[in-house]
Order: sequence, then structure tokens, then C-alpha cells
Amino acid sequence: MKARLVFLWLAVGVPLLWGVLKTLENALKLFR
Amino acid sequence: MPASFLDRESTIASSGYNRFLVPPAALAVHLSIGQAYAFSTFNLPLTKLIGLSHSAPGDWKLTEVGWTFSIAIAFLGLSAALFGRWVERVGPRKSMLTAALCFGGGFIISAFGIRFHQLWLLYLGYGALGGCGLGIGYISPVSTLIKWFPDRPGMATGMAIMGFGGGALIAAPLSLLLMEHFKTAMSNGVLETFVTMGVIYFMFMLIGVYSVRVPPADWKPAGWTAPSKPRSLVTEAHVAVDVAWGTPQFWLLWGVLCMNVTAGIGVLGQASPMIQEIFSGRVTPAAAAGFVGLLSLFNMGGRFIWASISDYIGRRNTYFVFFALGIVLYSTVPTLGHLGSITLFVAAFAVILSMYGGGFATIPAYLRDIFGTMHVGAIHGRLLTAWSVAGVLGPVLVNYIRQYQIDSGVPKAQAYSVTMYIMCSLLLVGLICNLAIRAVDEKHHFRAASPAPASPASSRSVSSRSAS
Repeated sequence: MKARLVFLWLAVGVPLLWGVLKTLENALKLFR
Repeated sequence: MPASFLDRESTIASSGYNRFLVPPAALAVHLSIGQAYAFSTFNLPLTKLIGLSHSAPGDWKLTEVGWTFSIAIAFLGLSAALFGRWVERVGPRKSMLTAALCFGGGFIISAFGIRFHQLWLLYLGYGALGGCGLGIGYISPVSTLIKWFPDRPGMATGMAIMGFGGGALIAAPLSLLLMEHFKTAMSNGVLETFVTMGVIYFMFMLIGVYSVRVPPADWKPAGWTAPSKPRSLVTEAHVAVDVAWGTPQFWLLWGVLCMNVTAGIGVLGQASPMIQEIFSGRVTPAAAAGFVGLLSLFNMGGRFIWASISDYIGRRNTYFVFFALGIVLYSTVPTLGHLGSITLFVAAFAVILSMYGGGFATIPAYLRDIFGTMHVGAIHGRLLTAWSVAGVLGPVLVNYIRQYQIDSGVPKAQAYSVTMYIMCSLLLVGLICNLAIRAVDEKHHFRAASPAPASPASSRSVSSRSAS
């Protein structure tokens, strides 16, 4: 059950984190 | 896949099931359908299918392509309202699979439209079919999450609906990456990107289909008991969907959602030109795109944070903050523009957009408080028609008032001031609607002797509660 929990959260968390980082990268241009 | 696998009964969790497995299942669906917010990344490439580097004669016009998103949002509201009862009856697994088939299938049909250059196939595929996937997918995990988290319904639905905001953050860079990857001398890569995204999203949504579970009837978290003295406006009773939407509470909540969304969505759609025009010469198009991204981040984060806060301070107080603080911030924006403070301007809109997202994420828990859990998904579906109305009203207000101001000789930098004050008046209407909400009259409460509800599981739950 624990492995499944980790797998599921990683499956949704990793793409979301990637999207957040890409967005932050662009957002920084606003303050440069 | 055997039919029984999809039935609600097959998704009832066994004892010892960890309820924290359900939010990622919901997120898998919401992160996928949240792609809709990033559809604009396809707008320009879709107008260059023939000319590739430029729009050639015969290419679709931007205004024609723009209708695809509007159709999808209209079908989102319609399908959520029409299929809400069905979603409650068949359970989350079957409805999530339907959403995956519609959303993924919408991309594939649209790809045919691109291949044969038939715009109506784009409207039918992404617009109508994909829009149904959006609506069904949006409401499918909501009542399940509320039942799993009776102690923190705001946090639970906030987590899922956060995914809808976060979907655009993934889809925007992913679409650009794929189009770049598939680009050749003969194609700008949109066709291949649509096929790939259709398959990816379908597969990703299957994670939700396979892992979602509903709690057994009358399940409660270990060690948790419902408060003996319920908070004001939080009912232990249930109201059936067909009764609920005849109550003043439903229409007041409809007004609350509509006003909150109208104010936010108009700004979100015009954010890039707005910051460039207000701070003319100081904000480049690339920086403006960064501003839009930042607003999307706050839109996403606000969904989780505000909905979680609402578990502690109550839903009505949360919306009071949205409207009261929103009025203060919108009325301050023109001054911040005059002062030339980009940082304060960005900060004000970041908070505004966090409350826009928070409004979406807190509404299911508000509905649960007012109408109970029995048909909360179906009631939520009908309430989402407020989104469809706001989706038209918000951008129209911002765009037309701005244009009217410019045509009347107002400098572009000041053309948004009147719009901001109109947004304040919309928020005031929302504030009044919110303050007018009272508990539903007992005569509307569902009783076991009433006609059978749509959800068999809920029916058992209510009957047993009535018996005790």
C-alpha cells in the first residue's frame, strides 16, 4: 500500500513540479 | 475490460485502504483536463497549417480557431450540469473513463480535422467531445473526495481542483516541446502533437480510473466523530439535486461563483496586454508572458491554500475574504498603475488570482455544507453553469470596456481603470449573495421515504442514518 501511495504521488507530482519550475523560469523574466 | 470492473460496487475500498490514494487519482484527471487553459498555445500554429511560417490564403483565421476553446468551455458547463446525476449514479471509475475517452478522443478527432483541414472537426473534437470530457472529468472525483475526507472536505477538493489550475503549467511547455520535436519542412507539428497529447492524456487519466475508490457506506476516518454541535451553515441532512436547484441557496451560490469567476477570468484573459499597456515600454512581451505564468501559479496555489483555510474559518467567511479583499485590491490597481509600481501591481493581481482559484476550489465544500453529501457532485455540476456564463461575461466586460475607453480618447495605460471599478461592483454583488446565504429549510431535506436518490451508496448511507 505504501509503495502504491508513493508511486501515485510521484506520478502526479513530478509532471506538476516540472510545470511549476518551467513557469517560474518564465516568470523571473518579469523582474529581470 | 469486464463491465463489473467499472461499476461503483467494484470501487468500494476494502478495510485498511489509505484514503490518501484518492487525491492523486483525482489529480491524474484534473491535471489532464487542465490542459484546456493552455489551448491558446495552439492558436497561432493552427492558423499556419498551410503556410507553415505564415498564414496563407485558405488557412484558418485566429477568430475561427478561437471558437474551439469557447465551445469546449460551454460544453464543460453543459455536460457537468447534464451528466451530474449520471456521474453520481455510476461512480467515479466509469465517469473518469468516460472523461478520458472523450478528452483523449477529442484530440484524435481534432487531429483528423487538422489532417483534412476541416474546422468543424476541430470544433466537434476538442470543442464538443473534449468539452464533455472536461465537464465529466471535473465533477467525477468531487463527491468521492468529500466522502473520504469528511473532516477536511475543503482541503480534499482543493487538492483535486488545484490540478485543473496546474494542468496548464504542464500543458503549455509540453505543447511547445512536442510541436518543436515534430516540426518538419512539410508540417508545423501540430497534427502529431494533437495525436501524442490525446494518447498521453488518455493514459494518464487511466491512472485515476484504476486507482480511484469510494468509501464504504457510513465510513468515517479512524478516531474522527462528526462534531456534536455542527457549525452554522453545515448540515448533516441531505438535499436531492432536483430539490436543491429550486432553493434560493443554490442560486445565491450560483451568484457567488459567477461573480467571483467573472472578475478573475476577465483579467486572466487580458493579463498580457494589460501589463504591457499599463507599464508601456517597461514590460516586454516575454516578461508579460512571465506575468501570465505567475498568475497561473497563484491561481493553482490558491485553490489548495484557500480551500484548506476554509476548513478552519468556514466557507462563508472564506468567500467574504475573497469579495472584501478583492474589492480593496481591484480598487487599488489603477493607483498602483499611476504610481508605476510593477511589484505591487503584480502582487495585487497574484492575490486576486489566488482568490479566483480559491473560489473554484472552495465551492464543492460549500455545497456539501449547505446540501449534504448525497448529490453534491450533481449539484456541483449544475452550479458550474455559472462558470460558462462568467466565461463569456468576464472577457466581454474587460475587452469591450477597454475598447470603449480607448475609442473615447482615454490613453491605453488608463483604459483599464473603469473596468477595475466595474469588477469591484461585481464583487459587491457576490458579497451580498454570500451574506444572504442561510441554511436550507428542513422541508427540503431528503428523507428515506422520499423518491430514491440517484446514488445507491448514498441511499444506503442515508437510510441507515434515518433509521438510527
